[in-house]
Amino acid sequence: MTSSTTNIEDAPLKKAWPQWWPYLAVLAFLILFPFLAGLTIGDPSAVEPGAGWLTAVAQRTESGYAKFWQGMLIQIFIWGIFALSYDLLLGFTGILSFGHAMFFGTGAYAVAILIDKHVSWPLGWALAAVILISLMQSIIFGVLSLRVKGVYLAMVTLAFAEMFFILSEAGDFRKYTGADDGLHGFPVPDYLSAADHRTRFYYLALIFFVIVFLAARRLVNSPPGRVMIATRDNEHRATTIGFDTFRYKLIAFVAAGVFAGLAGALSALYNVSITPALLSTDRTIDVLAMTIIGGVGTLVGPITGAVIVQLLGYWLERWFGSSWTLIYGIIFMLIVVFLPYGIIGTLRARSLRLKEGWGRWLKLLGIKSEGDAAFASHTEMDNGDQPPGQS
Amino acid sequence: MKKLWQNNRSLIIALIIFLGAFAAITQSMEAKVWASILLSGITLASLYFLVASGLSLIFGLMDVLNFAHGSIFVLGAYVGLSTYANPRLLFNTLPFFLSLGAGITLARSFGVPFWRLKRTQNKPQWFFWGLIALSLVLITLSLREFPIRAINAFGVTAVGGIVSTAEAQEPMGTMLLRSALLFISGLPFGIALAPREDYQEGSRRNPGRVLLTALILLILGLAILLLRDPGEKFMLGLSVDLRFVLALVLGSLAGALLGAAVEIVLIRPFYGNPVTQLVLTLGLLIALTDVIEGVWGEEGHPPMTPPSLFTEPCRSESLFSWFGEKCRSIDVLGRAFPSYRVFIIFLGILVFSAVGVLLRRSRIGMIIRAGVQDSEMVQVLGINVRRVFTLVFALGSGLAALGGVIAAPFLGVYPAMGGIFQLQAFIAVVIGGMGSYPGAAVGTLILGIARAFGDHFVASGIELPFLETTLRGSPALAKASTVLIMAIVLLVKPAGIFGKKE
Repeated sequence: MTSSTTNIEDAPLKKAWPQWWPYLAVLAFLILFPFLAGLTIGDPSAVEPGAGWLTAVAQRTESGYAKFWQGMLIQIFIWGIFALSYDLLLGFTGILSFGHAMFFGTGAYAVAILIDKHVSWPLGWALAAVILISLMQSIIFGVLSLRVKGVYLAMVTLAFAEMFFILSEAGDFRKYTGADDGLHGFPVPDYLSAADHRTRFYYLALIFFVIVFLAARRLVNSPPGRVMIATRDNEHRATTIGFDTFRYKLIAFVAAGVFAGLAGALSALYNVSITPALLSTDRTIDVLAMTIIGGVGTLVGPITGAVIVQLLGYWLERWFGSSWTLIYGIIFMLIVVFLPYGIIGTLRARSLRLKEGWGRWLKLLGIKSEGDAAFASHTEMDNGDQPPGQS
Repeated sequence: MKKLWQNNRSLIIALIIFLGAFAAITQSMEAKVWASILLSGITLASLYFLVASGLSLIFGLMDVLNFAHGSIFVLGAYVGLSTYANPRLLFNTLPFFLSLGAGITLARSFGVPFWRLKRTQNKPQWFFWGLIALSLVLITLSLREFPIRAINAFGVTAVGGIVSTAEAQEPMGTMLLRSALLFISGLPFGIALAPREDYQEGSRRNPGRVLLTALILLILGLAILLLRDPGEKFMLGLSVDLRFVLALVLGSLAGALLGAAVEIVLIRPFYGNPVTQLVLTLGLLIALTDVIEGVWGEEGHPPMTPPSLFTEPCRSESLFSWFGEKCRSIDVLGRAFPSYRVFIIFLGILVFSAVGVLLRRSRIGMIIRAGVQDSEMVQVLGINVRRVFTLVFALGSGLAALGGVIAAPFLGVYPAMGGIFQLQAFIAVVIGGMGSYPGAAVGTLILGIARAFGDHFVASGIELPFLETTLRGSPALAKASTVLIMAIVLLVKPAGIFGKKE
């Protein structure tokens, strides 16, 4: 899907300025969001009497629904990063992994254990360690599991993730991991506490989110990223051309692992609690659902999926109470059936078709030359029936 | 001899390693100890096998990795439990299914002209899904505010007393209305499933026979509905053994029907697109888990009492004397072993050989085996592979549900057990080789025995011949042992023990 040249993710920033403005608009909205929310849905009674207007706005952003919706967006950033990292595997390299929660959970556990009382490292050291740990973890398990393909790879990664899940539940390390209870209330530094400084944490998460998005975009558009896509489309052919596909699959695996580990660390810092559920297969299924709903093989898709799943979960739970998962499951199946390329993928295919029709019409009027229309139909072919992620 | 070695090299090596490990571990134990651990392992293995065999067949034939298989296992267990301990639920819901089925049967044969209309030929896919959506909406409407939890209240029946059913059930008029509505909502579903072309099966069915089938279904539903109070008394008055057999039959039947429905509605439109199928089964898993928790509750039930064959408080000397004495446990080398577990082992072996004979000796088995090798070729030869696909899906789901029913007196029933069994079945199938029937058996056997020895290792430790102290593992090790075995097997032989080379 990404091989068509009209995609925003492929176009260099300078040349494709008009295509970038929706993204910059969203970014501007996200930057302004805490203030807008503070002024509209913040709690006016939280403002101390006699405060200046700047202080008043700051206090209102830290209260009421403004605080709640910032929290929701932080969750969306975290899950968006996680889903994006999963899509690097599934959508761009065609690796169906069922153990991606392993990286997310390990990142969360690593940062929590390292800043907890038994180790009590400073946060910066702990985050560096998270990167190192997820790097090593993804290299080791990537080398081991990339020996097999397709469903077998899904099963092997499932088994590895299950191993970490069992490890996190084991009573032997109760002192460090808290066994099945998990860890709660480990000492996150005061200046970063999401309970007291929600807006500060929000901007941290936003910056991190933007950095990961740009890094993923850079990776996908780099030569190794192109080989990853070639591997997804036809591994045999990529090997025949002379690429060592194992190496490129490993690059994807490592990048996805590190991003997921960092997302996990952020999640642990935000929630100030970790449980073995972070490592369970259910989290992988969640992230798979987000990627599929949003659109496999796009960068914006998984993020859209994260937004939709988070909001849908929130609203469905409010409307239907405990039976919301039934509705969620049915909606999920309907999306898979009716939007086989996900929301973003289907929208893109449709806009391409629109563009093609537009081109044909212009050609009829004699405004456009023959070549452009042919090009349009060619890109349409690229978006053809073969869904990515199929091995 | 040389050929035997070449063909089964990996199996023989695995067997030698396995026997070596077994000898090293059991060397320091008494015979009666390891014999009973081994039997426990085989018990577990035969439960795993019932789940794994269906999974393996479905994957081998259709390339579908069914993530909802564990939910079907739990569903079977719950249906069995309901039949056994609280048949009120069945009497109040079976008429619904029957009238829905009658509507579908009727519309499926008489809906053929619908697809011949010029207007519908352009967008059959959208019409298809629209009809199904309409049917789903109607079903939701007709089941609105049905007091399922009140009908299913187990507290009273668990003691074994007489159950007062009158107040929990809805009045007959409401039930009839719901049934009629469900019959109507079955009609669009049936039209959606009606064959589009002349050469597809079912289009040339005798209309009289179809009418008769639908009529029989309707009358059966009506009869069950009208006889619900005496029927329930009759069922609870039956002997325990008879009720258990009934639970086995109804549980596996429910699983098989659900499996067939899943294949027809969710899997069939997406052949050639395995990721979509896999993701759809994931969605089904999410939805089905919620349905099961909604109907039977999240808390789970303690093991149900096994039938009277396994409940006399004594210990039989041998298997043969047990048939007369019906004791709770059987003497194995001087150690008591629960007789119900012997029954599980027996049933596992029975199912293994029955399905094996079906695969080896019958025409349908021949088609299945050919389909595993090359389903396109089978289709080209003029065999309706789609029907075989549905059949195998139903068979696999039915086996899983049967496993659920026989696990209920042994492990109890709780919603989370589906996930546990599904993971073990996945692991077993991967170890044995995806799509290989003997592979599933060998894989489950390895897993069951490894798990039993792992549990023993945790509980009392193991004295290895070359170590002074007794080794003792943590519970996590026993849990992780199966996963470790899978990782090792896959790294040595990526396609599994019996798997084909890629």
